[in-house]
Amino acid sequence: MEYEFPDDIKYMKTHEWARIEGDMATIGITDYAQHQLGDIVYVELPEIGRTLEKDSNAGEIESVKAVGEILMPLSGEIAEINAIIIESPESINSSPYGTGWMMKIKVSNSSEINELLSVEDYKKIVEEEKK
Amino acid sequence: MDFVPHDDKTITEMLKVIGINNLEELFQDIPKDLIINSLNLPLGLSEPDVLKNLKELSQKNKVYSNSFLGAGYYFHYIPSLVDFVISRTEFYTSYTPYQAEASQGYLQAIYEYQSVISRLTQMDVANASMYDGSTALAEAAIMATIITRKNSLLLLEGIHPEYSEVVKTYCWGQGINLRIIAENKLKDELNEDIAAVLFQSPNFFGDIEDVSMLAKRVKEKAPNCLLIQCMTDPTCLGVLKPPGETDVDIFVAEGQSFGISPSFGGPGLGIFAAKKKYLRKMPGRLVGKTKEIDGEREGFLLTLQAREQHIRREKASSNICTNQALCSLSALIYIISLGKTGLREIASQNFQKANYVKIKLTEIPGYEILNKKPTYNEFIVKCPDVDALTHECKQLNLLPPLCLSKYFPNLKNIVLVCVTEMNSRESIEKFINAAKNALHNKKEGKK
Amino acid sequence: MDINDSLIFEKGVDRAQKNFIPKMDVKTEKLEDILPKNLLRDVLPIPDVPEVEIVRHYVKLSTINYGVDSGIYPLGSCTMKYNPKINEIVVRLNEFSQIHPLQDESEGSLELLYNISIMLSEITGMDGFTLQPAAGAHGELVGMLIIKKYFETKGIIKDKIIVPDSAHGTNPASAKMAGFSIIELQSNEYGEVSLDHLEFAMQQGDVAGIMLTNPNTLGVFDRQIKDITKIVHKHGGLCYYDGANLNPMLGICRPRDMGFDIVHLNLHKTFSTPHGGGGPGSGPVGVINELISFLPKPYIISTDDSIVCEQNNDKSIGRIKAFWGNFGVILRAYTYILSLGADGLKRVGQIAVLNANYLKCLLQKKYELPYNRRCQHEFVLSDKNLPNDITTEDVAKRILDYGYYSPTIYFPLIVNGAIMIEPTETESKYSLDKFAEAMLKIYDEALNKPELLKSAPHNTPIGRLDAVIAARKPILHD
Repeated sequence: MEYEFPDDIKYMKTHEWARIEGDMATIGITDYAQHQLGDIVYVELPEIGRTLEKDSNAGEIESVKAVGEILMPLSGEIAEINAIIIESPESINSSPYGTGWMMKIKVSNSSEINELLSVEDYKKIVEEEKK
Repeated sequence: MDFVPHDDKTITEMLKVIGINNLEELFQDIPKDLIINSLNLPLGLSEPDVLKNLKELSQKNKVYSNSFLGAGYYFHYIPSLVDFVISRTEFYTSYTPYQAEASQGYLQAIYEYQSVISRLTQMDVANASMYDGSTALAEAAIMATIITRKNSLLLLEGIHPEYSEVVKTYCWGQGINLRIIAENKLKDELNEDIAAVLFQSPNFFGDIEDVSMLAKRVKEKAPNCLLIQCMTDPTCLGVLKPPGETDVDIFVAEGQSFGISPSFGGPGLGIFAAKKKYLRKMPGRLVGKTKEIDGEREGFLLTLQAREQHIRREKASSNICTNQALCSLSALIYIISLGKTGLREIASQNFQKANYVKIKLTEIPGYEILNKKPTYNEFIVKCPDVDALTHECKQLNLLPPLCLSKYFPNLKNIVLVCVTEMNSRESIEKFINAAKNALHNKKEGKK
Repeated sequence: MDINDSLIFEKGVDRAQKNFIPKMDVKTEKLEDILPKNLLRDVLPIPDVPEVEIVRHYVKLSTINYGVDSGIYPLGSCTMKYNPKINEIVVRLNEFSQIHPLQDESEGSLELLYNISIMLSEITGMDGFTLQPAAGAHGELVGMLIIKKYFETKGIIKDKIIVPDSAHGTNPASAKMAGFSIIELQSNEYGEVSLDHLEFAMQQGDVAGIMLTNPNTLGVFDRQIKDITKIVHKHGGLCYYDGANLNPMLGICRPRDMGFDIVHLNLHKTFSTPHGGGGPGSGPVGVINELISFLPKPYIISTDDSIVCEQNNDKSIGRIKAFWGNFGVILRAYTYILSLGADGLKRVGQIAVLNANYLKCLLQKKYELPYNRRCQHEFVLSDKNLPNDITTEDVAKRILDYGYYSPTIYFPLIVNGAIMIEPTETESKYSLDKFAEAMLKIYDEALNKPELLKSAPHNTPIGRLDAVIAARKPILHD
């Protein structure tokens, strides 16, 4: 099974990704994660304007047979929620790094970016989990 | 007796296939000192002997010819169709319909139950059931704290005392604060920290609240606060404005009145319904309609299971698994058997007969109806002598009304009278006579 | 059989159906004169359906449903045993069904509740019971609240509960509802608790107790059970027994002797009360002497003259349900225990285990059995040997084509593609043989004609349903 691992983003070991652009970050879940969950049926995300710390709970993502917690890769204020995935959660399955993005945040502490995983480190984590 | 179908020869054959010599070897993994010889219980009985035993025990209970007791459980007429349907073996000996394709019968029935509850209450969505009214209220309260992320609740006086106790226990379990307040204190106590206001209507004392007004008061002061209504006899919905038209966020009720015998207090039925926006936070099973993957036919299945404990485990908001499925089937058949005509008529009779008793009681000096608001089939009455009334009722084979001192020790000499469509004119006349006799006997110092 | 029958709502007619309304025999004011208009509803959207149509509709629905009276129902962890018909007669006796929970002169019912507590105490070895919990999960919550209250009373803070990774989902959910957080213990290669891991977890000092079922959800008896409960007690914790799997232990072994302090039972599993399509059940909780004062109100005790209920007790966790418990369910269990007696109950334990081991021997010829050891009342197969990308779900759907109800699937979580099978003691050898024959045939089909499984079921009223759309855009009422 070949999963997608774009190299222009950072990763968390809990399978979230973050694309940093200036002081904003776009957040989603990885191709491996959407595959593990199966057909996604519902996503719950925080309200716009809420500020959350890194590693805190930022919502949930449900499939028919499982539920996963979304964790904040970085601390920040929720600036935008992707309306497409609320209406059509299947976009996360078909395009986890593209139209299936989940939220955009205003990064409050850019030093936290260094704590995120590179694509190579994340690939290793996936290899371990598959065993 | 037992229900094991094997004879000794069969058992020997089976032991051989397994590769052991006797039944004891089946328990080889159990430490020897844990194996018991036999239980210290009598030997088994055959059917006729069991029946005799139970009949004798049941004779120690008294069935009254008529009842004036309510207070959370009610005597209503149960249509013959209810027992007929729930006795269908394919329904009552089945399990939770996990394999949808082999359980379409029950799944459709539960879907129809969810639908009649939605129609009756006008709430957007109803689940497949909770254990009873009291636990449904407790779970609704917890659901409100999860939705609002707030940790305090206000309970209005007038909620059934046993229900309040159950809510207290559940809240203690999760460190949720609650206060019971009088309705006129609502304005002072309500603030942005309150997750929900819980109230009962018709309440324990019989009062019907103007729920629309209450909802307005709550939402104006605290727009994010949820309003949760509970009800102990939902037959009133045959006539009363449904919660869905009054801005109630979560509605729970005891469904025993819908076709379930009193049976000493259980099993009952927890009716649970809420506004659409809270759907994903609702506890309990839900049946949904869908299509075949490779076809056009519509069918039913358990859905949104990712809310439940078997998937979420410690992240679940509720641990409920087995609920009250067969009781929800009873309720469905009751509601459908009566139809809108029957539901309206039964509710009207309850109102009118209770009203009739109120009028008759008021004619007896010493009896005073204490309700200031309209009532359904229950109301509270101040009596000259509650013990005498109770005694006189029993003399006439009537189940006496509840003495409020059972729950409120300082409310002596007040009873909660319940009158339903099952109270014939004769039984009402007897009750009025009992009330008169109680006065008479009290005057003469008799008991 | 055409499943696309309409919903009951489409069978309404424009004629009042008055079959179930008593005659109104008092003259009094009209409703509109008693009640203010703003309290009344305008529309009541419930159809008036003729009686015959109601009967036909629900009889038809019952025929496209499967119950334990239809055939073997080998759902692991559910104990789908035969539901004796005498129970249904007893429960309908007027002197039981027409009793109001708040009335006097209910000594018969109170005595029954007291008697069954004695019987359940004898069966489990515990000292006192509450009959209040309405289901197993409700009983688990009670057990967790008792543990919470126990430590609160002692002024000790212990906020964790240990649960094995094979536990039923209600266990951690119940612990959480009582304010605990969970430590999950990995099972070892025998499917049993690792004593080292347990010791380590207990040494942290904040563990209030452990929740276990024994035999566990793999169907195996944890041989170290006495050591497990000893370790927990040594560190000041309490041991909770999930009684869902009590069936094989009836008359053989008792949770108290294993070292447990609190147990819940599932009357709708072990004690033959019907599952009702998902309830009602009953989950009584038994405790050791030291914990009796924490039981929920009301607690029923006996005096020389009568059965009374003890209400005022500061240490009680409080009330967890209105009234007395699911009396109608408890009454059926009582009838069952009387019917079986000490001899019959022991037979249940023995034959439940005989049947499970027999069926296991037949099926393990082809299916993989990850924990290949003596099982008790149930056993778990995995999807390891399934060929041609066939999944456990495919097998389960194909079983329906053979006219059986599928076993529990995808539980416990620690076995890949788990198929959990519990035949119970009321299945005949013939029934077991036929079921095994079907399962082995299905395996061969998986090898030679996998498309039959992939597209199953074919012989049911409806084909495989789309669960994804149902969850994305739920339609929950008409």
